[in-house]
Amino acid sequence: MGFSELLSTYGEKYLQGLLATWSMTAVSFVFVMVLAVLVTVARVSPYRPLRVVGDLYVQVFRNIPGVALLIIIAYALPELRIVLDWRTCVIVTTILLGSAFGSENFMSGINTIGVGQIEAARSLGLSFTQIIGKIVIPQALRTTVLPMTNLLIAVMLTTALGSQVPLNPQELTGVVSYINTRETGGILTFLISALCYVGTAFLISFAGNRLDKRVRILR
Amino acid sequence: MADMSTGKRSAGSVPVIELRHVDKHFGDLHVLRDINLSVSRGEVVVVIGPSGSGKSTMCRTINRLETIDSGEILIEGEPLPQEGRELVRMRAELGMVFQQFNLFSHMTILDNVTLGPREVLGVSKDEAEKRAMELLSRVGVAEQAHKVPAQLSGGQQQRAAIARSLAMRPKAMMFDEPTSALDPEMINEVLDVMVELARGGMTMVVVTHEMSFARRVADRVVFMADGAIVEEGSPDEFFDRPRTQRAREFLDSIKGH
Amino acid sequence: MSAPRSALSIRDALYEAPGPRTRRRVLIGTVITGALVLLGITAVVRQFYVTGQLAPRYWSLFLQWTTWRFLGQGLLGTISVALAAGAIALVLGLLLMLGRTSGVRPLSALCRVVTDFFRGVPSLLLIYFFFFVPAQLGLKMPSFWMLTLPVALAASGVLAEVFRAGVNAVPKGQVEAALSIGLSPAKTMRRIVLPQAVRYVIPSLIAQLVVVVKDTTVAYVVSFPDLMQNARVLITSYDALVSMYLVIAVIYILINFAINKAALYVSRKTGAKIIR
Repeated sequence: MGFSELLSTYGEKYLQGLLATWSMTAVSFVFVMVLAVLVTVARVSPYRPLRVVGDLYVQVFRNIPGVALLIIIAYALPELRIVLDWRTCVIVTTILLGSAFGSENFMSGINTIGVGQIEAARSLGLSFTQIIGKIVIPQALRTTVLPMTNLLIAVMLTTALGSQVPLNPQELTGVVSYINTRETGGILTFLISALCYVGTAFLISFAGNRLDKRVRILR
Repeated sequence: MADMSTGKRSAGSVPVIELRHVDKHFGDLHVLRDINLSVSRGEVVVVIGPSGSGKSTMCRTINRLETIDSGEILIEGEPLPQEGRELVRMRAELGMVFQQFNLFSHMTILDNVTLGPREVLGVSKDEAEKRAMELLSRVGVAEQAHKVPAQLSGGQQQRAAIARSLAMRPKAMMFDEPTSALDPEMINEVLDVMVELARGGMTMVVVTHEMSFARRVADRVVFMADGAIVEEGSPDEFFDRPRTQRAREFLDSIKGH
Repeated sequence: MSAPRSALSIRDALYEAPGPRTRRRVLIGTVITGALVLLGITAVVRQFYVTGQLAPRYWSLFLQWTTWRFLGQGLLGTISVALAAGAIALVLGLLLMLGRTSGVRPLSALCRVVTDFFRGVPSLLLIYFFFFVPAQLGLKMPSFWMLTLPVALAASGVLAEVFRAGVNAVPKGQVEAALSIGLSPAKTMRRIVLPQAVRYVIPSLIAQLVVVVKDTTVAYVVSFPDLMQNARVLITSYDALVSMYLVIAVIYILINFAINKAALYVSRKTGAKIIR
């Protein structure tokens, strides 16, 4: 199958696939960040039960394979009378996985601050809330730009799990599998999706690197 | 340089800092043993002793960076609060300078100095910056005001850290081995600032290994070993006629250097 | 007296030693959050109960030796793919890194493109590639390789970067010293840089095994009998979907948890950081 023939037959499907991948990535990443913050707050809270649950959450979702989690959410939850539509299943899976890694990033961001600066802030008479707001969060955010950039790329790659459930419209990986189950698509069909992924990843890391250069903290 | 501090020498009133029968353990280790210390307004107390003698820990208990097991700490006659707004307010009135400077690495030097006044004292941005620039030029790092800490030498960072403490107009300042992390050629620039402060009447507790500083500036030298105050007295007394065997050994050991 | 302080993690350093009021507040908070957690657990168990998922027929299969033997066979499949893919990725990653740092312009550019390509593409897309394309070209490929090759390729991109970080961690002065005593650049790389770089990245390599294990779980796409695929077979014969997937998930989590712990252990022992 030639390039022009491929594009005329499936061009629109690829475009929809790209948009589906992008939109699932964007929606997922927003929630990944929100949840990562919440999980991190739980993990550094002074309340033991919350710490334990937060740590457990991270261990579970950074160690479970994406497919296993997706299958549980898509096929096991309905048996427990929790039914989500396919797209939501993929997004929820991505959010759960991503937020565990996001929280790990935040934790190591907090860890780079050092006890000394906290003590200095305390000595100046800053309250706990002021220390968190003026010292801890700004530093944690600025040191996690690059890790979070990589996480955004990982989140995009995770949305390829969408190819394992009947999505409509399909995302980039699903499109390729759809085409190849119908005809002899050949290498080109894969290359188009692959370039969409790689191109997006390139844009993300370009933007991430620029942001990092602007906000990086010298140590 | 008298207006660098708000302290005035007036002996006889309530001590600014007073420790009574302070004890502290780290697990099995008895790090502070029945510490009694009183620092009057305008007095400069230099604490010396071998490493592990508990001098840093004692210094850090004064604004409750370390808790104590028993005993009492009084600031101007008031017990040191244990928590909450009262503790925060008390800390704002005590300056602290650390061995590792501990400047906030994501802020410029100027922002480091204005953070306390703006956040804690509610001073306006303009006013805080004006005063910060005054202080920074007094300690000689005004040129560096818009740089971040990592761009400064250790000596410059420590002088900026002193300015940060001074910006809060503290009643007293604690120095926890302020020159121990510095390269030798930078030690004096920091000590000079401290000498000026002392001359200006600041109440100071200084934990240090700089014996020449102690001799030159201290009103009183406190010698600690194994968590206890072993000996205290005027610098001349202590350095020339130490009363205890422990102090003599310590002075001999550092003479070798 | 800095030893007890430096042992403190920042997590705890955020809070100072509590006074009596704070201690009471923390205690109350602990009780409340503890109750909430218990409530959550109860709700989950209840949901299992009311939907009948706690019924013995869903769980009794785990009392049978045959179930575990079949899952064990699957696990062996998972392990063999993971190890084979890991070994291939190790070689490929090393070659990609050597090519990239070779200083030969076209080769270095090519290796860079290949590395970025495999890092920027989902492993699922690669798996579909090996599932469809060789067959379309008339090649018959065993399902083992249809799974192992794409997993290896995906990992090789990451490993190339890990190796590069390891090489960069070797002090420049050593390279200069080696060159100045007359070692050739190739020999310097082989005798001086690589041995140190490899030692430096060992914990990271172990940690990357987690990603490899995760990637193998889509074996069912190519019908390779791994842990997940065998579980799916059991599900159809026992009709125990929820219980089986949960047990499988726990097994995967434990395996990966153990790998991560091993990586951390080696990292602590050697003092080398884990690069992800």
